[in-house]
Amino acid sequence: MRSRGFGGLATSALVSGAIVWSFMTTDVELSRLLSAGPRIAEFLGRMFPPDPTVMKEIVKGSAETLRIAILGSLGAVILSAPLGILASETMVSPVLYRPVRMLLAFVRAIPLILVAMLMVGAVGLGPLPGIIAVAFHATGMLAKFYAEAIDGVSRAPIAALESAGAGPLVRLRHAVWPQMAPVVVRDTIFRFELNLRESLILGIVGAGGIGFYIQTYVRSFQYDKAASVTLAVVIMVAAIEAINVALRRRFV
Amino acid sequence: MSLAVQIEDLNFAHPGSDFPALERISLGISMGESVALLGPSGAGKTTLLTLLDGRLQGWRGRASVLDAPLDPDQPPHRARRPDTGFVFQEYALVERSSVLRNVLNGRLGRMSTLRALFGSPAAHDLKAALAALADCGIADLAERRVDSLSGGQRQRVAIARCLAQEPRLILADEPVSSLDPARAAEVLALLTNAARARGATAMFSSHQPSLARRFARRIIGMSSGRIVFDVPTSELSEDATEDLYRDTEPMPNVALRAVS
Ligand SMILES: Nc1ncnc2c1ncn2[C@@H]1O[C@H](COP(=O)(O)OP(=O)(O)OP(=O)(O)O)[C@@H](O)[C@H]1O
Ligand SMILES: [Mg+2]
Repeated sequence: MRSRGFGGLATSALVSGAIVWSFMTTDVELSRLLSAGPRIAEFLGRMFPPDPTVMKEIVKGSAETLRIAILGSLGAVILSAPLGILASETMVSPVLYRPVRMLLAFVRAIPLILVAMLMVGAVGLGPLPGIIAVAFHATGMLAKFYAEAIDGVSRAPIAALESAGAGPLVRLRHAVWPQMAPVVVRDTIFRFELNLRESLILGIVGAGGIGFYIQTYVRSFQYDKAASVTLAVVIMVAAIEAINVALRRRFV
Repeated sequence: MSLAVQIEDLNFAHPGSDFPALERISLGISMGESVALLGPSGAGKTTLLTLLDGRLQGWRGRASVLDAPLDPDQPPHRARRPDTGFVFQEYALVERSSVLRNVLNGRLGRMSTLRALFGSPAAHDLKAALAALADCGIADLAERRVDSLSGGQRQRVAIARCLAQEPRLILADEPVSSLDPARAAEVLALLTNAARARGATAMFSSHQPSLARRFARRIIGMSSGRIVFDVPTSELSEDATEDLYRDTEPMPNVALRAVS
């Protein structure tokens, strides 16, 4: 092993260097920093009490967010099924799964909000760019999960069915699928939960859903309304999590 | 007379292994015989049985099963596979499926692909599966999921799946390794009786010479990939089986002594 002291020293130097560089180039004024606390408090004060009259917008916006998440997830499942097979060691040769995995890693590295902005540019405002963005972004993770589910299957039952004279499709159906089904269901629900959470803010870039109202109210200084919508989002995230926990107990 | 198994000068090394797992094996087994394979761990019993099941490639020599030659370079045609049944040492069951589903899996090679894909067995498939369950004494477990069963119950499911397949040659790899002595005898009895009732040839491996003597007419001793004896059970001496297990090198640093 190489000297550990040197590695530790290098790491500390790097971290301190990064902090000093950030301070020097960001122009953090001490006076502004000190007054930030009261300002934020005042801002939050203007959000209180939340304005309950925006219920209609909340329902409309969250229904649209839900639709974006559902259709985006559906798109991701449809894309991930073949890509998952192409990314699995068990099903294809390294020549194929290596580049497919690299492609998926690349897709995962692009933030959803960025994809959404690009899609708004490409297809215009509304839920459609949101759906496409969610489907694209989620596939990077879901296809990887599906590939791992395929590769995690135990080989012995597959050999047993081969020995009994079952063909490849029949083996996939009766030996591979029953083993991976619970994993696929769990991962799909997990990804749907993420999609729902992440699509709450898509409206901020014009890609549809409840985020649109947050952005509109903040821009027009109607902080009490923005507060109601934010509260609704928080409640929805909590509800999604509770439902997910219940579903997981059922299936896994 | 036709032979269930015929092997001449068979040699095989596992990929990546530099010593042979099977070396110059020659063997003929007639239809309807019951044969036991004895030998210490690593002797090559699983390898030999797997090869006869058509699941190993890259061997040298000649081998034919049920009067059809095996190809050393590719697995046998699918239509021929149901005639050879295999009982796996580690059961190889689909854990999350029911017992009945697992036993029906033994029928998949005898169904049309469409039936197999949709998992809708014909009446005679169901009948064969239920008969196998009854023969193995586990009819009452049919609806249970395999992951809720004991090791001994799983072993019976694995045997039932093999019987449901209605094979003419049964290759059983340590089919009673996880059973207590009384159950082990019971299950080997049912396996060999079922084979005889169906006119099938049975070949099973075991680590228990006493069981081999009771349930096989002929005993083959293997060590380090070679056959060291091949005799009718009545002619097998105690010394021969003891030598078989003594020949292997003891594990280093493990002292064998009686517990006081
Ligand atoms: N997949 C494999 N790759 C490489 N070597 C293997 C493989 N399977 C078995 N071997 C080797 O081949 C030899 C024979 O193994 P085999 O499993 O046939 O023995 P066995 O008689 O069935 O032993 P046991 O009684 O422990 O089941 C052993 O030396 C083993 O290490
Ligand atoms: Mg073995």
